[in-house]
Amino acid sequence: MNEFIEQFLIECHELVTQATDDLLALEEDPADADRLDGAFRAFHTLKGAAGIVDFDAMGHALHAAEDVLSALRSGEGRVSAQVISDCLTCLDQVLDWLEEMREAGEVPSGAEAQAEAIVRRFKGAAVEPAAEQPSIPEGWAQGLRDRRPEAAARVAVRYAPDVDAFFRGEDPLAILAALPGLSALEIEGPKAWPPMDELDPYQSRLAFMALCDADAATINAALEPVRSQVRVQALPALAEDAITPAALALLTAQLDLLNDATGEASPGRVESARRVGVNVLRAQGLAAQADRLAEASADALGQVLESILSGGEARQPAADPRQPAAHDAVTRALRVDVERIDALVNLAGELTVAKNALAHATQLALEGVEAEVLARTLRAQHAQLERLVNELQRSVLNIRVLPMRHVFQRFPRPVREMVMSLGKPARLFTEGEETEADKTIVEGLFDPLLHVIRNALDHGVEAPQTRLEQGKPPSAAIRLRAAREGAHVLVEVSDDGGGIDVERIREVAVRNGIVDAATAQQMDDAAALDLIFAPGFSTAREVTALSGRGVGMDAVRTAVGRMGGQVSIHTVRGEGTTIRFTLPFSVMMTAVLTVEVGAQVFGVPLDAVSETVRVPRDRIAPVGAARAFVLRDQTTPLIDLAEALGECRMGDRQDEATVVVVRFGDLTAGIEVDQIGDRADVMLKPMEGLLAGMHGVAGTTILGDGRVLIVLDLQALLQ
Amino acid sequence: MSVRRLANGDVELSGDCPSGEAEVLRAMLAETPEAAVDWRGCQSAHTAVVQVLMAHGGPRIGPPGGIFLRRMVEPAINRG
Repeated sequence: MNEFIEQFLIECHELVTQATDDLLALEEDPADADRLDGAFRAFHTLKGAAGIVDFDAMGHALHAAEDVLSALRSGEGRVSAQVISDCLTCLDQVLDWLEEMREAGEVPSGAEAQAEAIVRRFKGAAVEPAAEQPSIPEGWAQGLRDRRPEAAARVAVRYAPDVDAFFRGEDPLAILAALPGLSALEIEGPKAWPPMDELDPYQSRLAFMALCDADAATINAALEPVRSQVRVQALPALAEDAITPAALALLTAQLDLLNDATGEASPGRVESARRVGVNVLRAQGLAAQADRLAEASADALGQVLESILSGGEARQPAADPRQPAAHDAVTRALRVDVERIDALVNLAGELTVAKNALAHATQLALEGVEAEVLARTLRAQHAQLERLVNELQRSVLNIRVLPMRHVFQRFPRPVREMVMSLGKPARLFTEGEETEADKTIVEGLFDPLLHVIRNALDHGVEAPQTRLEQGKPPSAAIRLRAAREGAHVLVEVSDDGGGIDVERIREVAVRNGIVDAATAQQMDDAAALDLIFAPGFSTAREVTALSGRGVGMDAVRTAVGRMGGQVSIHTVRGEGTTIRFTLPFSVMMTAVLTVEVGAQVFGVPLDAVSETVRVPRDRIAPVGAARAFVLRDQTTPLIDLAEALGECRMGDRQDEATVVVVRFGDLTAGIEVDQIGDRADVMLKPMEGLLAGMHGVAGTTILGDGRVLIVLDLQALLQ
Repeated sequence: MSVRRLANGDVELSGDCPSGEAEVLRAMLAETPEAAVDWRGCQSAHTAVVQVLMAHGGPRIGPPGGIFLRRMVEPAINRG
């Protein structure tokens, strides 16, 4: 990619982030002039940047937003949720364009229509004083979407004709009837109608809400003559609309079968394709589409299937606008403090000097100096090199360090959207944004944290009425906190909701077959609470579009575990729940204890090792297919490392087993090894190629004697 | 005539009902608020006419003839 474009992308991403921050803060406090100025400046600078790369469409869209913000700055109109939403939509569009540019390496063509749709949003908005506009209920579009789940829809329309619209010859119903893809209509009248004697039939007192399965630009164009009376809002796809790649492949295969030009489609083939298609669609929760396919005539089957696949009805999960793709794109470029780069440049210089010194030592050896002199020289150079390499490692790791701000600042948007769609007011508070951690960790936190926050809002936080009855403020507080603690970074999500009912967890776990009733009753509360991390666990009374279907906390634990971290949970009934991630500061440097099995050296992450013990063989008892031993009155499972990794044990067994006791989460286990080695700091290389799928192995590194050290993935081994 | 009084006192909408019919319909319904509106023969209706139907809120004999009225407008009136 052209360096110029690369720089443009980096800058634009920063400006979008800043503008989003300011807009969300402005929504909280519409009187905050500094935030308004900040947002205006960010839009203005973005517009300037678009001009530099000749991206006219982007400049055009941003100019419209800038105009609205400029009017607000000069006191015309007021900051409304609609204006904020419009500006955020504009930024979303910019992010989409940036993503296209990143992929294509050039200014996207055909962006004018998208820009035009943005401009149209702003033309009907904010410039007129907002007070004169009839108030539009917050979240109307989502509300309509929720009331009419059966309707295929990409945009929601709200059309409130002026009182004298009929006089001007407008017929709103005729305009709506002509909307492309109209799939649902609602009409709102006044709460109470006047008696028929007093009714003026030519004063419009109606408002219309409609869903259309067409893109926003098309709908905007159709509504152009009445645009000042209309709001058009693009809708997020329902999670139910998402279709998994596997299902998509199946449907496409049926379509291929129907369109197969080589043979005539036999009635049997058509019916078989229909049956598969209907089943797949139903399994994906697309009942309406399944019905359409079931009812289609044999001739039209292919066409119907094609329209379902291409018509935006079956959207792919990748396009879930709840988290626009561009927001999820990992920042590939890294901005680094110039001091850190200078440190590296200096190190490179010193390493060159050390290399030259080595040449000098070689010369000495050739000249046949005494071995002792040579050894002294070499030792000194080794010490020098060691210092430099350590420093190099530290400097390189420092470059990869990012503040948590990078991930924390991505949450206000999704939280705002969740709050709107759930109708539970909540505020997000963040703390410790400047806490640093390795880039891989900071970037890997978004998905698990989003999941936890979603759960908190969806299941943890009570409805406003319930909160009031319990003496809590109606608006919930979600706190996102990061802190450094020794070699670890803690990240917590707390809510002030209802807390988790442990009894209910036990019930659900039993019902879902995760544990049997007796085990559930014997568990203490902490262990029972931990059941929410079991795969397939879900306590949602009803499945909501937001939190999905119970694939949840186990995925969170796995994601955090993959980064070498652990998840714990703390809850108090009536007061709230805290989910805590304990993460390593860096994923690359790992302190390990080396152990040997046969001729192979393994590394056990040192922070998991609690002790090493020798256990007489007669004290090891078989438990089913496994083995266990008693450690300080606790029965502890014993894993034979050679067996676990599928290796054959070589040599005779000694009378005593050498055992490394490890603790991972709440699990304690013993790992039997042949020999215990030393402690070592290693830089892990992730497994690649053929080794990538190897069970129980986190990565490899090369030891000083040239042997390969395999570092164990305890989570995989113990589960 | 697209709005007319039937022998049984009910009001019938038929064919296309332009905005001018809104006042006619209103006057008839003001006279006999208990009358039902039979719109089975109605192919299309101006918004002002539909508004009168909503304000009346009395019994309707349907479904209306026009597709848009039948599929979208009648269910919307019934919902609201």
